[in-house]
Amino acid sequence: MQSNNGFYGEFGGSYIPEILYASQQQILHAFEEIKTDPEFIAELKETWQNYSGRPTPLTFCKNLTEHFGGAQIYLKREDLNQSGAHKMNNVIGQALLVKRMGKKRVIAETGAGQHGVATALIAARLGLECTIYMGAKDVKRQYPNVFWMKQLGATVVPVAEGSQTLRDALDEALRDWSSSHEDSHYLIGTTCGCAPFPEMVAFFQSVIGEEVKEQSKAQFGQYPDRLYACVGGGSNACGLFLPFLEEENVEMIGVEAGGKGLALGQHSIRLSNGLGEKGIAQGFATMFLQDKNGQLQDTHSIAAGLDYVGVSPIIAHLAQIGRIQMTYAMDDEVIDACSLLLKKEGIIPALESSHALAGAFKDAANLPKESRIVINLSGRGDKDIFNVAKAMNDQTFPEFLEDYLADYKEHLNNDEEA
Amino acid sequence: MSQLANYIAQKRQQKPILSMTHVVYGYPTVQESLSWMTRLLEEGVDFIEVQFPFSDPVADGPSIVEACHVALEQDLDVDTFLDDMGKLSRDFPDSRIVLMSYLNPMYRYGLQKLAKRAAEINILGLILPDLPIEASADYIAACKENQVDPIWLVTPVTPKARLEMLASQASGFLYCVARSGVTGHSSHEAKSKQTAMDEYLVHIKAHASAPMGVGFGLRERSHIEALLGKADIAILGSALLDAYNQGGQEEGIKLLRSLFS
Repeated sequence: MQSNNGFYGEFGGSYIPEILYASQQQILHAFEEIKTDPEFIAELKETWQNYSGRPTPLTFCKNLTEHFGGAQIYLKREDLNQSGAHKMNNVIGQALLVKRMGKKRVIAETGAGQHGVATALIAARLGLECTIYMGAKDVKRQYPNVFWMKQLGATVVPVAEGSQTLRDALDEALRDWSSSHEDSHYLIGTTCGCAPFPEMVAFFQSVIGEEVKEQSKAQFGQYPDRLYACVGGGSNACGLFLPFLEEENVEMIGVEAGGKGLALGQHSIRLSNGLGEKGIAQGFATMFLQDKNGQLQDTHSIAAGLDYVGVSPIIAHLAQIGRIQMTYAMDDEVIDACSLLLKKEGIIPALESSHALAGAFKDAANLPKESRIVINLSGRGDKDIFNVAKAMNDQTFPEFLEDYLADYKEHLNNDEEA
Repeated sequence: MSQLANYIAQKRQQKPILSMTHVVYGYPTVQESLSWMTRLLEEGVDFIEVQFPFSDPVADGPSIVEACHVALEQDLDVDTFLDDMGKLSRDFPDSRIVLMSYLNPMYRYGLQKLAKRAAEINILGLILPDLPIEASADYIAACKENQVDPIWLVTPVTPKARLEMLASQASGFLYCVARSGVTGHSSHEAKSKQTAMDEYLVHIKAHASAPMGVGFGLRERSHIEALLGKADIAILGSALLDAYNQGGQEEGIKLLRSLFS
């Protein structure tokens, strides 16, 4: 979606410290160049296809459809990307841009670690130095991803400031960029931040919706009636929705994280129920969760990737003008949706994507049988094994962990003695 | 000439360089921060730059970030803050207070209202580091109407044409950032390049329509001496906060004297 000088209605823009001006302009110009450069687009598509496995399938869910007895349910399988999530589409695009700009290092923020791992993967492949900022709390919650980032050769910096989550990681990445902009690129993971980041990330993610257009025509001869995507920063939603913007008959539903409840600090709902308010922070204007004094507030979601205080200015704008309907799903509804997909279709969804499932499942039974809905399965759920086990109160998991830990320690001790 | 530039010009007749000391409002508590500001003003600093804390201060390094987060454990509101600044401004008419904050808390408060209230309490300069001049038409108009100066920043990596534009737009004073990066000591520092300071300042001076303040990374007497004749104000931020954290007001005053007397 083309911005109006970086703005989408009253949202977006570029509110950055003066020190970043030159770097921001450089990205702006580089992005303008590559958007229409056939050579760049060809390399991008080649890398998407041969490194990340695109196009990803559009999978019809027969059992789920019968279960609800309403709309025909399809999943867009972004979980089948290299790295297991749609994040790969964007990091490939930006990393190729980094090479073109002649920079040698990338900086990224990460919440759950999905974007961090995706960035570390492409950095390893393209020979770029890589530093990942991650909230100290998230480092603890998502250690397996930290482990992989390190093994891939990335430097992972735990951010112990503030709430020690994604928002603080983003602040710290901006601080690094302020002093390293001459040789480093800030590889933002979502459709947020100063211009042109929202537009650029949406541009790279739009491959999702473009493929759905082709696949839906091929599979059922027309576009879907409704699209569902979870909304954290907003990149997978932008990716699915934006190619359909001009198709007035296609409805779009964004699902935010309702967390544990609607009290401030318990959720990450920025766009429904009047919980978020317009603000300007982290380089752009959007709807933020903030107090009356304009201080950004803590958020919660069972899905770390949705646990963010702001939201894409593109989504904020489209929600404001009514083009996208926004709703939310609570933590327990999300676990139920995840469980249902496991049992009915044999697919393990990420908890982030399970929000989109939960949103769609609420509507499915009430939709006409001839209607078709596409849910963006933005990522796979292997990473969530610990959290899902805990949420499902699995009784044997602690035993496994204890045994594993004892064995691990013994292994380390034996190694030391040897 | 603006009231602020006028004040600087007059003061500069007696002093080779003026001092601006930075304090985070509310750190570690509102009372203690006010007491620290009072002490600095009693010491005769020409300016205090008071930062109203924001939860996500992206242009600041670890010392100031930490201070802002500690300060925000209290519920701070802009009205009370401005009342407190008004009292200080009345009690110390020979010095000036400059207000610094990030955009969001001030945006919520209302930039028009902020400029009006600032003028009422004789705060003549406002620094909002994440509000670029391109997005500032309303803010500039509000400042002009109330005869308050919006303080712009330039940096060693600001492109030449832009630097000249900002310098020529400057009123009150122009905040010249001395190096790349965030405020104070930080883990990011090693990566930043040392730019030829003299050349940078001479270039700005040729285009500046207002006095020049220099800040970011000043911590030694030699840093201040190097600015004599090239800038009007030396801005002391994180170094002073680090000294304060180490030994309270006494240590802070010791640093201040070692740098400026």
